[in-house]
Amino acid sequence: MSAALYESGREPVIRMVDIVTRFGRKVVHDGISLDILREDIFAIVGGSGSGKSTLMREAVMLQEPTEGTIELFGQDVTHLGELASLPVRRRIGVMFQYGALFSDMTVLENVGMPLREHTSLDRGLINEIAGIKLSLAGLSPSVGVLYPSELSGGMRKRAAMARAIALDPELLVLDEPGSGLDPVSAAALDDLIVSLRDLLGLTIVMITHDMASVRRIADRVAFLGDGKLLALGHPDELAQSGDARVRDFFVERDVTECEPLPSPGSAVAKP
Amino acid sequence: MRSKTRVPICTPATVVAQDNQLRATGTWTAFGLGKMGADLGLDPASRRTLDLTGIDRFDTTGAWLVQRAVQRFADAGGALQVDTTRAQRELLDLVGQHQADPADLVPPTPPGVIEEIGRDTFGLINKYLTFLAFIGRLTFTAVRVAFTPHNWRWRTIIRGVEEAGFNALPIVGLLSFLLGLVIAYQSGVALQAYNGSIFVADLVGLAMLRELAPLITAIIVAGRTGSAYTAQIATMKVTEEVDALRTLGVAPLEALALPKFFALVISLPLLAVFADLMGILGGMFMANAMFDMSFGTFVQRLNESVSLSSFLIGIGKAPIFALMIAAVGCYQGFEADSGAEQVGRHTTTSVVHAIFLVIVVDAVFAIVFSKVGL
Repeated sequence: MSAALYESGREPVIRMVDIVTRFGRKVVHDGISLDILREDIFAIVGGSGSGKSTLMREAVMLQEPTEGTIELFGQDVTHLGELASLPVRRRIGVMFQYGALFSDMTVLENVGMPLREHTSLDRGLINEIAGIKLSLAGLSPSVGVLYPSELSGGMRKRAAMARAIALDPELLVLDEPGSGLDPVSAAALDDLIVSLRDLLGLTIVMITHDMASVRRIADRVAFLGDGKLLALGHPDELAQSGDARVRDFFVERDVTECEPLPSPGSAVAKP
Repeated sequence: MRSKTRVPICTPATVVAQDNQLRATGTWTAFGLGKMGADLGLDPASRRTLDLTGIDRFDTTGAWLVQRAVQRFADAGGALQVDTTRAQRELLDLVGQHQADPADLVPPTPPGVIEEIGRDTFGLINKYLTFLAFIGRLTFTAVRVAFTPHNWRWRTIIRGVEEAGFNALPIVGLLSFLLGLVIAYQSGVALQAYNGSIFVADLVGLAMLRELAPLITAIIVAGRTGSAYTAQIATMKVTEEVDALRTLGVAPLEALALPKFFALVISLPLLAVFADLMGILGGMFMANAMFDMSFGTFVQRLNESVSLSSFLIGIGKAPIFALMIAAVGCYQGFEADSGAEQVGRHTTTSVVHAIFLVIVVDAVFAIVFSKVGL
């Protein structure tokens, strides 16, 4: 794997080595190693409870693994203190599954919040940029004056996306970006993710169950199961995987293959 | 070829004039731009060419600043032409496409003072009306349930009595004991001047039994149990558990509110009796330690001065307080609608309103009883 890495000429943004995570006796990760390269759209998939979210939380320094090391942007951050981690955190944008918008701020204030905290730009400019980010995330800037509690689930998600990209972070981590969105909006979100990568050179890590989205935009996929990395590669490679658990995830169920239901007339027709 | 690791060092974004050509240098990102002015520090009425190809980084913030400058130059009758790389041009176009209508970004103007007063008044009236409606619905539910004894949730009520009553014994006991102690000391010092230390027993007995024991108990219960009621019901409301109960054909008021009422109406008078006892004990200790009054004398004096009616009046108020605390606690819980922050807000309101009501009603009782000569 490392040979391919050097050929591609891109350095890893996230490097995880031999990650072991245990909660009491429960082993969540049992030796996971992976590199996520710059400007990749990297999807982490796996069944429910396979430790995807925990892995993501460890990658963005919200939680420490029991064993193993994590490097972000070439810096070992496994046991980085709260203060030392601030400059690293500023380079990361995270979109949480349920948005995690601050409920006492309007949407526009939410999106502008990282800019207000970390830059010395003037307020008018920050609001204009927040408006652009909302529009980029597929929301009308006119929702900016609303409070998060006044938004629908899908809108909240987009607002959270806008806040995550407020500082044009080098690494954008998305937890279930497509869940709760209708297929058209989910596809539009996919397009947004690709254009952010292309235009701003972002690295995008997403945790998802949406296989259609994975096949459409992911460059590489990590498949977690039983605490291990079961497969790693391009979506097409994983769809041909020898491991049935992995392959099943990618195969689209074809309804015509199912047993046809007995027609309602057949039972009655019997004399 | 391996690209070198990008180190996020910011050099301030600047515009350097070379002849008529403007050359941008530095980091044109949110971090590097600092307080760059709206017109990039240039006269917007002039015709200029800005060369962006020499900057080391560019992000949407930088792109918007440039895009906005171009528009401002055009508005002011000048022109700003921008030389870019292809990627920079794409970013500029992207930002241009997504720019927001400035009117959308202006927060709605806050209402004026008059409108504010009007809204608050109507809001307040509305709140009292919904509170009344809540009491009404609760009474109907209680009457309906009263005729179907198999619907009484004894298990929940008994658990409620344990939680609200039994578990509150230590704190209620300690605080009333201390209260008795303080009253005995303060009054004793004053009475000593008139050689009347013996009257400490009268004072402690009357004050505790008639007023303070039920009051302090109600205040502790409002803070301890009323808030818990609100927090529990509000959380269930926010997480749609209350709706789930309704879809399952269970009336939330019957399942959640009524057992709490019963539990509190049973617990609070019992707690008040315990508070009476501990308060007198506190006074007795202090009288014994400071004024050399024997326990026997104290009890005898108490017997002579404090009538049964004083005790009954004090204890009689307790169920009323219990009803008010439970009503406010449950009502505030059901008022929460969406969002976790509502839970905290309504819990605070619940405690404040409950304590307020308890003290006001206690004062009303005091006046009424003195008028009728009890």
